Amino acid sequence: MKAAPGIERRGFNAWLARRIPPSTRITLSQVNIFIFPTRSGFIFGVLLLTLLVGAINYQNSLVYALVFMLSSIFLITILHTFRNLSGLSLEVCEVRSGFVGEDIEFSVRVERSKGEGREGIEIGWPGGYKQSVELFDEQATTVRLYLNAHARGWLIPGRLLVETCYPLGLLRAWTWVDLKAQGLIFPKPIFDQSHNSTLSGQRDDGVLVDPLGSDDFVDLREYVPGDPIKNILWPTYARTGELAVKRYASYLEPRLWFDFAELPGDAEEKLSRLAGLAISATQSEREFGARLPQLEIAPGIGEMHLNAFLRELALYGHPR
Amino acid sequence: MAIQGSPLAQVLAYQIPRNSLALLMVAQLVVLAPLVIHVSPWIVGVYLVCGLWRWQVYVGRWNYPVGAVKSLLVIAAVVGLFFSGFQSYSLEAGTSLLVLAFALKLLEMKKYRDAYLVIYLSYFLIAIAFLFDQSLLLTCYAMFSLIVVTAAMVGMNQRQAKVRPAASLRLAAILIGQAIPLTLVLFLLFPRAAPLWSIPLPSAATTGISDRLTPGDIANLIQSDDIAFRVMFEGNVPPQRELYWRGLVYSQFADGTWTMNKNAKPQVSLGRQGRGTAYDVFLEPTQSKWLFTLDTPVEYGRRQQLLSDFRLVNADPVLSVLRYRIVSDATKILDPSIDDALRASETVLPAKDNPRLRAYATEIYERSGRNASLMANVLLTEIRKSPFHYTLKPPQLSPINSIDEFWFDQQKGFCTHYAGAFVFALRAVGIPARVVGGYQGGEINPVTGHFVVRQFDAHAWAEVWLEGSGWTRYDPTNAVAPARVERGLRAALSNSDRTSLSFLTVARLDDQSLFGSTLKFIDSLEHLWNLSVVGYDVAAQADLLTKLLGRVTPVRVGLALFVGGGISVLLVVGVLFFRRRHAARNAAEQVFQNFCAQLARQGYDRAIHETPAEYISRLGTIAQINPKPLILQLHAHLYDPEFESNRKALSELRKEFRKLRFKLAFSTTVQAS
Repeated sequence: MKAAPGIERRGFNAWLARRIPPSTRITLSQVNIFIFPTRSGFIFGVLLLTLLVGAINYQNSLVYALVFMLSSIFLITILHTFRNLSGLSLEVCEVRSGFVGEDIEFSVRVERSKGEGREGIEIGWPGGYKQSVELFDEQATTVRLYLNAHARGWLIPGRLLVETCYPLGLLRAWTWVDLKAQGLIFPKPIFDQSHNSTLSGQRDDGVLVDPLGSDDFVDLREYVPGDPIKNILWPTYARTGELAVKRYASYLEPRLWFDFAELPGDAEEKLSRLAGLAISATQSEREFGARLPQLEIAPGIGEMHLNAFLRELALYGHPR
Repeated sequence: MAIQGSPLAQVLAYQIPRNSLALLMVAQLVVLAPLVIHVSPWIVGVYLVCGLWRWQVYVGRWNYPVGAVKSLLVIAAVVGLFFSGFQSYSLEAGTSLLVLAFALKLLEMKKYRDAYLVIYLSYFLIAIAFLFDQSLLLTCYAMFSLIVVTAAMVGMNQRQAKVRPAASLRLAAILIGQAIPLTLVLFLLFPRAAPLWSIPLPSAATTGISDRLTPGDIANLIQSDDIAFRVMFEGNVPPQRELYWRGLVYSQFADGTWTMNKNAKPQVSLGRQGRGTAYDVFLEPTQSKWLFTLDTPVEYGRRQQLLSDFRLVNADPVLSVLRYRIVSDATKILDPSIDDALRASETVLPAKDNPRLRAYATEIYERSGRNASLMANVLLTEIRKSPFHYTLKPPQLSPINSIDEFWFDQQKGFCTHYAGAFVFALRAVGIPARVVGGYQGGEINPVTGHFVVRQFDAHAWAEVWLEGSGWTRYDPTNAVAPARVERGLRAALSNSDRTSLSFLTVARLDDQSLFGSTLKFIDSLEHLWNLSVVGYDVAAQADLLTKLLGRVTPVRVGLALFVGGGISVLLVVGVLFFRRRHAARNAAEQVFQNFCAQLARQGYDRAIHETPAEYISRLGTIAQINPKPLILQLHAHLYDPEFESNRKALSELRKEFRKLRFKLAFSTTVQAS
């Protein structure tokens, strides 16, 4: 089934949105399950017609009976195929962020209602691989679906296809559910050493951080329980009977400021380079910030800062 | 809605699951089994070779055949079919072709699509088996095949690593079981139609009596205890000696063989209404158009036609069990007068063979004063008085003057010999006479009261045209072996004849034996099957619809179908969606639940707040027993996941609950009285 482009497709989507409104948790029922014969089902129909003609021409009651039996099986199968999807609840429980070009993992939790087990169900995003789902003894399972990220920003996989041809493959029951899933896609990082070095010169005054563990002696202060014993100034103790500890300090490496305007390439490439710089800076435990047109990202350090930084880059220029 | 997997994922998705493949191969075997006797042995050989090859591929020892080998196989198969005498289309040829295609498909059964083709072919072959045989036994077998084939289809859609053919079979059986009510509704109510176009005739040899009669023919038929037809009389059953089932009329004689007059025209002198003996015939397939009736059909169906020689023919060859209703009037005079053309065709003989019988005939014709009836009686007396013998194993006769040889030299023969010689003698002097073939007698089945006529009841007799009484039946066999006509074949056979018959035939002939009566019971089942299912045709359906709906209109039939079908589907909906089954944790809880349900029916409902222990204590007080041991016993097992396998403890638990239930029932009656 090819996507019909243009207005028809938009019309279909609008209809679908009315029919199965987006929701974080959707339970399948007769409201949102569609069912239609598969190609095998139509060929089965042709077989039935052929047999019926045979029964009529040979006036054979038992061939008639066989035709009716097979037709009845077909009709009963509609119920079974429908039942296989009906009562399933779906929700997206976790989405991992990632970079452009990566496969983004969406964890979808599939839960069944009580009663018979389910089998032969396939779920997948449009454009992704389908995963098969079976629920026999267990009541629920989590399916990991992957979708390749093509652009930074929010990756909205669209409607999740849930389908089954169980039990005979003659009928396909399916539905398209919008679980409001979205994954954050960061720009694909570009690592470039040359730019890194030039930018590192852009520094301001460092911040004096907690001095313990550094080499440069600063001053003395009173002992507080928890201070390392090796820092205790024993001669002073011997002299005065007071415990004093030596304070050492080091200044941080200067803060890095990355300037959007100074980076080569077009806007997307600049964002990619920023991402690369941010990752390198985090790896070398440097504090960094960035200046972009209409956006200044305050300097910070560590994984949390990197995530927030990448998030800003991912959504830069996108409506929030 | 474009969903595309990776190429690898697609390949995997379209491969046949192994579980299903094994089922598929079993299904093929099951479906082919009943067809084996209808195709040439070499085709079965081809199937076995292909099956072995595919099995070796399945277990991973061999590879699929390469393209060249496959092409070679196909060419060899087509050549083989051609040389098996299947140049033109027939049922057997078509079946052979399908079976061959089925076998060769095995060697390239790799993908999803191939599997479905094989499954559909399997359904088709089940239908084809019905064209050859509609017995109850085959139908039961077909149900089994249906489950296996459907299970193979289920297996195709169960994508799981575990091989579970039992689960596929179970689901297939459930599907079929749930389809039965709807099938019944459709079977009874779906409008039946007359054949849309004429179908190719099977090249298969006709079974039963043929349209050519050589003296040995019927003697061969006697070896067979196959059923020719069954009959249900509506009123009194005519005596055995009157049961001449007339089917074929042989008016031409050449080279020792009697043949049928192919150009018989439709009968015009008799109407389609009359009174007489009414009966329904269930004719087994003969692949021919002729039907068997008592003398003389005056009322018959629309698709039947009475010909100028008073035999009844069907519009189409009888390929499956045919039910037809006849009213026969034995008193009808057939052809009160005959024209010259008919007289000529019914007295014609080859120029000069069997000279001795011709001379003899002329002699007795003169002796009986040129009176046809007298001459016939003289001939019968001759047969009775001379040392003629009735035997199933007559000596070989030369083809040229066979009748002379029989009449004057051997004097040993079977019904065809006597009828043939009798008619020949009459024709030799210009008296219109002809040989009639059909069946004589039959035996009544005491279970359902129907008559069974078997191939060994095949018989030939004569008809002579007499001034004033028209065509009159003469049975020369009656003169040599009166027991044959009075009491059936068994009485007429000598011991040496009986030894030549098959074991089953002897058993059928001997109705005193237990085995014989068992066979009769099976036959009555088969008859009921024919009556209700196989014989359910356009007419039977019209009857039922009239009874059911009063007036049969398309709207009413449609409505009945809709209502009946709706109810059958709703039944399944109820089972699938609304069956609330409280799942028991283990067997012990199941036992307890069953107990609760039974007691609820006795009026001791378990209150919603009651634990099992409280419930049993309360019941114990009523029944005046100590409930402690039972509570302990139940508690010991209730939370044991392994309890299922402990059969002894399970049955003990059941026994204890049963005891309590009986005590309660007893105390209830005591209270009531």
